[in-house]
Amino acid sequence: MTISRRTFLGGAAGAAALGGGAWAALIRDGVERAPLAVPTTTTTTAPITTTTAAVAEAAAASSARLPLTDRVLVVLEMAGGNDALNTLVPAVGAYHDARPVVALADTELVTLAGTDHGLHPALGGLTPFWDAATMSAVAGVAMPQQSRSHFQAMDTWWSGVAGAPSQTGWLGRWLDLTLDAERNGVDDPLRAIALGGGSPALVGSTTMATAIRNPNNFDLRTQRGTDADAVIDAFLATASPLVADPTLAAAQQAIPGTLDAVELLAAASADDLAGYDNATPGAGITAVDLLATAANIIQMGIGTRVLTVGVRGFDTHAAQIDSHDALLADIGIGLERFFAALEASGDLDRVMVVTTSEFGRRVSENGSGGTDHGNGGLQFVFGPSVAGGVVHGGYDLGSLDNGDVPLAVDTRSVYRSALEWLGGPGAADGVFDELPESLPLLTV
Amino acid sequence: MQFESTRETVAFLARRATWGLGPGELDELESLGVEGTIDRLVDPTAAGIAEETSPWADWEYVYDRSDNEAARARTFEAYDRWLTRLADTERPFDHQLAWFWHDHFAVSLQVVRYLPAMLDHLDLCRSLGRGDFRELIRQVTTDAAMLIFLDGATSTGAAPNENYGRELLELYTVGINNFTEDDVKAAAIALTGWTIQRRPTVEVRYVPIRHDDTPQSLLGVDGVHDVDTTVAAVTSSPACPVFIASKFARHFLGDVDNQTIFDLGATFADADLDIATLGRAVLETGAAGTASPMVLAPVPWLLQAAKSTEVRADIETLLGALRFLGQNPANPPNVGGYPGAATWLASSATAARFSVSTGLARLTAPDAAAMVAASERDWDALADLLLRPAGFSEPTLAALDGLDASASNRPGEAALAVALASPDLLIA
Repeated sequence: MTISRRTFLGGAAGAAALGGGAWAALIRDGVERAPLAVPTTTTTTAPITTTTAAVAEAAAASSARLPLTDRVLVVLEMAGGNDALNTLVPAVGAYHDARPVVALADTELVTLAGTDHGLHPALGGLTPFWDAATMSAVAGVAMPQQSRSHFQAMDTWWSGVAGAPSQTGWLGRWLDLTLDAERNGVDDPLRAIALGGGSPALVGSTTMATAIRNPNNFDLRTQRGTDADAVIDAFLATASPLVADPTLAAAQQAIPGTLDAVELLAAASADDLAGYDNATPGAGITAVDLLATAANIIQMGIGTRVLTVGVRGFDTHAAQIDSHDALLADIGIGLERFFAALEASGDLDRVMVVTTSEFGRRVSENGSGGTDHGNGGLQFVFGPSVAGGVVHGGYDLGSLDNGDVPLAVDTRSVYRSALEWLGGPGAADGVFDELPESLPLLTV
Repeated sequence: MQFESTRETVAFLARRATWGLGPGELDELESLGVEGTIDRLVDPTAAGIAEETSPWADWEYVYDRSDNEAARARTFEAYDRWLTRLADTERPFDHQLAWFWHDHFAVSLQVVRYLPAMLDHLDLCRSLGRGDFRELIRQVTTDAAMLIFLDGATSTGAAPNENYGRELLELYTVGINNFTEDDVKAAAIALTGWTIQRRPTVEVRYVPIRHDDTPQSLLGVDGVHDVDTTVAAVTSSPACPVFIASKFARHFLGDVDNQTIFDLGATFADADLDIATLGRAVLETGAAGTASPMVLAPVPWLLQAAKSTEVRADIETLLGALRFLGQNPANPPNVGGYPGAATWLASSATAARFSVSTGLARLTAPDAAAMVAASERDWDALADLLLRPAGFSEPTLAALDGLDASASNRPGEAALAVALASPDLLIA
């Protein structure tokens, strides 16, 4: 696919000179907090025609034959604190004892070969990846010293810094560190794209990311009887030269990258809504929809290296059986279709997916048919170089930490593996205070 | 932010503390002066402006979930009454405070799913939003919408749900690092028993057998066992006035130094947590120069622009534009409230702001003062109408100058669209 690209970014030549510092400060100050409300997910449940086994086989057979720079890391952020124990379920009595109402029956679970864990039935479509050894799980994963506050926990997961605030995110620091080597120091906001809303994980001090809340209506609209190009050009002209005030300058800096992204991504969104009608809650921002857009962006080959996909609703304090089922179905179907699309276009072997969520939930259920905030959580990792079919860490239900699953794996170890896959050996150097312990997540 | 003139100062107050001004209204505020404007905003009753009732007070509301079309129409009417009030009120700061508290408590209609309870909650934010903070917290704690939103309604003594207890401490009163996990548990236990009767209508009920009356220790206060003792404990914490002051400062002033926040917190504490006193102090310190430029969220951005352009859009258009911009009133995305600057500076908000600006310019009448100024290419007059009496920034001026008058068939429409979409209008 060839794209004629207007060089809106040329207008932002002063951006680097101002320094991303002002931008980064604003981002940190106004962190978009991931949504925690009860979901209004409109997950499509249409039958899936692609055979996932074929996808998995292709994934398993793939190797790292592409240049490193073509690799793409997708971080799927499940905001609100996904209930790890009801997602990757431990086959032990203590689990059932703690959860008389919300525990899943053993008979409901999908068997995961070679482990004593079962998968939530809504994720059953992912087992071919497990069987093909391109999917792994990390259980009991957390940041050290994280709290049960959504916001403190999300902050530390985003930053990859334990126990202290940080102005930058773990992916943003990687983007900063590789800007010279990959782009000769010239920033391109399309190198990192956040779908479903901005992710503070992408905040760097010299690089900017593109953040798109709903790809379905990411466009520029002008009125009949006006010269659209002239109005857009004038809008672009308001962006330069950058003024001295950092807040006003940040508003200016957003414009060129936005115009560039609109032009490039117009083709990437799955659908377009007429007018301003956003009547259907969740339309365009389900995991299914956002991952479809992510697949399109990857297939377009516009140099995007990191994508975040933000999905909300995992704060299941009450009546969680149905809502959690719908949330995981959205994730499961979204990932199946995402991998199927990439397999069909031959892009599957250059994509790694890592899921995150700020904490797991309390081991014991509450009186509302739900679970309160906890600690040790769960991550899934998918990709051609993943040493699949393994549960790393685990849930130590015998020695709970104040009622919570204790930390078994530091999530920075997962981050390190992801970055070393994305950027090669040493890619995680300098991203963290000290290099996190290595985890045998990858085959190479 | 330092201001060169009274006009600039009162325009700042209008940007931060009102829902916009129509043509000529900035002149009125200028003649009142800075102190007079603050008096008018903070104590409109003293200026002879009548008290208001709820926007939904005289509404014959029929709740019937079986008819989707009627439910949709009722929701639109509820929004219409609300946003029309914001546009027309002579007590704009009361509604700014109400909006602040709505954002603070972040109760979402999508979660509550019962419109009358949501409207009662929103009006609670208005009617108590300038009074005694303790009373506000007391009422919100047993408010039907809140009991649904943070699961108080399903919390029992046998198995307390911590959702409200945690956010009461972390987000509503004292803030992170000023409480422990044991305090969360204590608050959750002490607040059990308050629940919701759903049929035939939603009513709040206190059910003693669902309550655990065991005395708890909360923030160092012993004997906490019910709503009143819980509210007394959390609001008597020295962290409370400082935390609320910091949220006020961030909302109305942008970035300020810590000393300003401590001073505001001390003022709030000295006033026995009287919210109007805190509101006055915030506006006074901002007018004196302590405020920083800040990014406007879509609701104030759009409502202020609509006032300046004299556009009265129908509710479907207005609400559609706000959702498109990313801020759906009565639906904060999570318990942390509406997002901040990063979201409104992000690519999707930037693109939407451009698109909505072209729509707003299209809806502006040819004889509206803003359209007249745009067609006459009188950029200073246009900036003044848009509450920027110091004028546009150099880049925006150059962009407007460079835009050919023939860029729109209607004279001035293209220029007005660019002015509305400009970085200048996003920053208050």
